[in-house]
Amino acid sequence: MNLLESLLTGLDEARRHWGQTLLSLLGLILGTASIVTVLALFGGQTALTEQFLSEVGGRGTIIVSDREPSAHPGARELASKRLTFRDAQYLRDRANALAAVSPGWAQQLSYRVGNASFTGQVIGTVPAYMVINDIKPLVGRYLSDLDVQRQARVAVLGWKYADSLFGRATAALGQIVSIGEKSYRVVGVLEREEFYFAAWENNALEYRNERAYIPISTAITQYSASDHLDFLTLKARPGAGAEAQVRSLLYARHGVEDFDIRSSGQGAGQQAGQFLLLFNFIFLVVGVVSLVTGGIVIANILLASVVERVREFGTRMALGATAGGIFAHVLAEVLVVTLIGGLLGLGLGTALTGLVAHMMQMPAVVSPFIATVSLTTAVSVGLIAGVFPAVRASRLAPVEALRYA
Amino acid sequence: MLSLIEARGLAKTYRLGQVDVEALRGVDADVTAGEYIAITGPSGSGKSTLMHILGCLDSPTSGSYRLDGEDVGALSGKRLAQVRNRKVGFVFQTFNLMPRLTVEENVALPLKYRGGVTRGERRARALKLLERLGLSPRVGHRPDELSGGERQRVAIARALIGEPAILMADEPTGNLDSQAGNEVLKTFAELHAAGHTIVLVTHDPGVAARAQRVIQMSDGRVV
Repeated sequence: MNLLESLLTGLDEARRHWGQTLLSLLGLILGTASIVTVLALFGGQTALTEQFLSEVGGRGTIIVSDREPSAHPGARELASKRLTFRDAQYLRDRANALAAVSPGWAQQLSYRVGNASFTGQVIGTVPAYMVINDIKPLVGRYLSDLDVQRQARVAVLGWKYADSLFGRATAALGQIVSIGEKSYRVVGVLEREEFYFAAWENNALEYRNERAYIPISTAITQYSASDHLDFLTLKARPGAGAEAQVRSLLYARHGVEDFDIRSSGQGAGQQAGQFLLLFNFIFLVVGVVSLVTGGIVIANILLASVVERVREFGTRMALGATAGGIFAHVLAEVLVVTLIGGLLGLGLGTALTGLVAHMMQMPAVVSPFIATVSLTTAVSVGLIAGVFPAVRASRLAPVEALRYA
Repeated sequence: MLSLIEARGLAKTYRLGQVDVEALRGVDADVTAGEYIAITGPSGSGKSTLMHILGCLDSPTSGSYRLDGEDVGALSGKRLAQVRNRKVGFVFQTFNLMPRLTVEENVALPLKYRGGVTRGERRARALKLLERLGLSPRVGHRPDELSGGERQRVAIARALIGEPAILMADEPTGNLDSQAGNEVLKTFAELHAAGHTIVLVTHDPGVAARAQRVIQMSDGRVV
């Protein structure tokens, strides 16, 4: 009997005890299903993180801010002017690893239109900020270079502020708003920004709807005594060591590391990011555990099914089966059985993923990659678990196999 | 007369934990074509061990064994499988049929391992043999749908399909009631009459009495 015939015999056997196979392979199916589900949910969360990052400007966005002063500052730290507008100019001129530099100034100021008034955030910045953070105007325009040059008293309102000050967001365009007791003309209203990590979560981008942007030059001259900045928003060129370059350039100017550098995703959406980090970590742990558990279950089932059939192999050897034939036979059965179990598990896992994703309002997709990984896991664990008893069974003398209990 | 089995000084020692058990202590055996031999003796006398060695299912610790002119001790694993397939037909006490295969498929199994026999030919030979043993109505059944006697006759058909030089049976009636046992023994008698060489192991003197020649064993030796 050649190898092909052995394989066909193995296939045939698996088909014949199909019912028994299914029953005993429940573990394999559940193992595979849990791997699929966990990977899909994990993948969904990862995709969501990526999506969030691109919403806030994509990868490669770097935010520099002042570090908390030390409890016992040294002379250099005391001498440092901390983050200034000149730092921004310096980086723009020297940091070739950066694609864009945007100085940022932030303050809580009072907003007033007619009788409506409240206190909220004001950001002083430059046109590059819009590009870096992927901000789109709903009506009107964003700040221009001319605005910055002329220290123009113009403001671009976030959607929420425009809406609550003027009743309707689009109605704000061209109107006058008082910010910190100074009058500004509204030249643009931004699109409403929304992003939900899960249905029960708050809008992770709501902070962007609750602010106004004014030219940095205007902000500094109207409200500040110095050119001190609150943050720098930078865009790195792909592949260059932008963070290290910024660190060394700023260190050269300050003489001390009195600033913090964070990369994208860690910034304003930090809370959401932390939630996500924990979530991903839990998923990863659950995934690894279910992978291992699934593997052990698969191995155990196959081991048991081979062991209980050693006597049968003894009979087959007595009838003239060769050791190689027995080996191929067992292997073929394991292969067929794990493939069937793996495919059924994949189906179940896909259904489960859909259910969980629907119930929890989370994105999750069983990609071809996940399908491949889970099937490969099922089959390779099956083969590893199957080869060992197959080799052992084929090495026994027929009489030993026949006596096997 | 053609000598089929020529065994000299067969000894077999098992290791059971720390203890060596001598199952065979130097046994000579000769079987010529057409003989019907019963190996008998009390339990633990070594009769099953002898049968397993003669059936090429086990190898002796020492001694020589020639089956149909071939030195079994010198054979490779692959050739040994061929010998089991072509020269020996083995019948077990517990039948050892494949539960998931039909009667016909069970009987044809040795031809499948032989290779080179087409599916049609395997089927034709199995059906012919089953008819001869009066099992035609059962060809499509599974073993668990048969009586004990029928199962053992299916096992005999399976042992015979490769046209072996010698038919060996280890306690073939051990798991059967007396009526079914008699049917099986009748089958052996008919096969012997048709020229088959048969060696069976039994502890039942009544079964042994039906054979042409009895090899009596005790304590690992022929007495």
